[in-house]
Amino acid sequence: MKIKHLSKRIHQSEILSDIDFEVKTGSIVGIVGRNGAGKTTLLRTMVGIIDPTKGDVLIGNDSIFTNPKLKQEIIFVPDSSQALKAYSTKEILTLYKSIYPQFDEAYFQDLMERFSLPFIKRIGNYSKGMKALFSLVVAFSTRAKYILLDEPTDGLDVILKKRVLKILVEEVAENNVAVIISSHRLDELEFMANEIVMIKDGRVDSHYELDTMKSQYNKIQLVFEGHIPEELENKVKVINQTGRVYTVIIGCDNKETEALLKKHKPILYEELPISLEDLFVAKLGGDDIVS
Amino acid sequence: MFHKGLWYQNYKQTKMVVWMLLVLFMIHLPFQAIMTLESWRTRQTQLRLQFPIQPFEFYIYEIYNLFFQGMFAFIVMFVIIFLACLLIGVERNTRRMDFSFSLPFARKDIFLAKWLYGACIITVFHSVNFFVAYFIFMQSEFGSELANFTLLELFVGPLLGFLFIFSFALLIGTFTGEMISQIALTFIFGIFPLGLYFLVAALIDVHGGHYPSQPDWVENITIFYHVFSHINTSFVDLLYPIIGIILFAGIGVVLYELNKVEHNGEFLIFKGLHPLFLVGITLCFSLLGGIIVSSLAPYDATTLRIITYWIGFAIFLFFSYLITKRLLQMNLMVKNK
Repeated sequence: MKIKHLSKRIHQSEILSDIDFEVKTGSIVGIVGRNGAGKTTLLRTMVGIIDPTKGDVLIGNDSIFTNPKLKQEIIFVPDSSQALKAYSTKEILTLYKSIYPQFDEAYFQDLMERFSLPFIKRIGNYSKGMKALFSLVVAFSTRAKYILLDEPTDGLDVILKKRVLKILVEEVAENNVAVIISSHRLDELEFMANEIVMIKDGRVDSHYELDTMKSQYNKIQLVFEGHIPEELENKVKVINQTGRVYTVIIGCDNKETEALLKKHKPILYEELPISLEDLFVAKLGGDDIVS
Repeated sequence: MFHKGLWYQNYKQTKMVVWMLLVLFMIHLPFQAIMTLESWRTRQTQLRLQFPIQPFEFYIYEIYNLFFQGMFAFIVMFVIIFLACLLIGVERNTRRMDFSFSLPFARKDIFLAKWLYGACIITVFHSVNFFVAYFIFMQSEFGSELANFTLLELFVGPLLGFLFIFSFALLIGTFTGEMISQIALTFIFGIFPLGLYFLVAALIDVHGGHYPSQPDWVENITIFYHVFSHINTSFVDLLYPIIGIILFAGIGVVLYELNKVEHNGEFLIFKGLHPLFLVGITLCFSLLGGIIVSSLAPYDATTLRIITYWIGFAIFLFFSYLITKRLLQMNLMVKNK
């Protein structure tokens, strides 16, 4: 699936701007960004709900906008199941079977049992967590190659969440599907995503494999005799400050800053393992110090 | 447009209104036919008791009332408009349109499935109920009276009228952003040519001119007129709804394909229409305001009528401008999870 130079203007403001990346089957892609960065708009455009102002979404070499039948390979699970709340479980089954020819009913029944989801007369009566889970079950059962999830674990308790994440990983490994997840739960993405697309102000700020991204930065804990020297503070990204203890992020290839750091002789210099959350704060956090 | 999934979705979305429509058609035609015959029989019996030699005659309007005029025809029309609003407007208010547009179907097919679904329901319900009512009438002692009416005026005209208003309401749904604006604009544009004629004629009248006589074409281009007016209808008269249905469905397809889902919940989908609607709505309400306030002045006080007219115009201009501006910026999207 290729996202080709997507741009979208809504109410005179540029929500998406020249978004360009590719999703390969067999991968889990996390789309992260601050609130209002355009993540949901991107997912809605990727499935053809919203027309882009410019650009295209291709499967193979065909556009999903000119050939909507290709969307049999894409399923979008929004953060709300409002649209189908009046359907019964059986009606949903009938509906999806008639829309997606490759819908796997046996797999659907299997997942329903595995997650102990009952067949009920109104989807709206499921609890919040069950609704989220049911949407995922339906999405997997369509056997679509590209599964687009908007905040999929929102409302799930810890136990269910772990099971959902497990099944997501299994699904990708066994059935060679691609899962594209927009989420604020960076810890979850870190657990399963192999690629991260960071969106900032409607643009792709960075798109790397997670490990590559992590290897580009160092997270260091520093303690100085006084406050952090000003010339150093301007060169690093301070992500946490507790008293005189600073946690900073610097680029791995930034030798100049590293030399500057050593020159000021910190009392404590300790490298810490870097997480996706640290990268998020460093890249998208603006100038705010998070403490 | 024949995708089973789309038809299933449409039915699920409109189930209640569809059954309501069936019941209304049953009351409008067969039930009303039985009741009309019963009331004629009662009147006939009473007449025979009072005036034994005088023959019983019914009013011709009673036949028209039964088949295409009267309260039930109006209620049926209202429910048909509501059906169109459930098919498009409510989809926009909720997240259902997101779901529909994420499906592997062309937007053209989604729209045509809606149109065909509604058109089939109206045609089947109307035809079956009409012929049941017609048969009941034919079998009665008054059956021979039906020879004075053609099937064009009793059946084809009303059916095309209902399909016409359905296609029109669906078309309105392709550029309005939610259900309330779809209903409101269907009614406003449904009577717009006649309404505008009335507003302009009153303006001329107040300023001392002659109240202009109404040209025929004004009626002919008024949508609601074709729902209820079928007396002595001819093939030529039927061309208006036939062309209208084809035109509205065609334009509907084009506008639905150009859909701006991101503006769902707002008054209009296409922002380019805002200035036109702002000017249009404000002007029409100002003209109406002029008529309302000037009606307070004595009819023969020409100058006073003109002054009060423009006072009413200005007051309504001010408020309708503010309200319309608000209206065009509102968003009625249901966002609960």
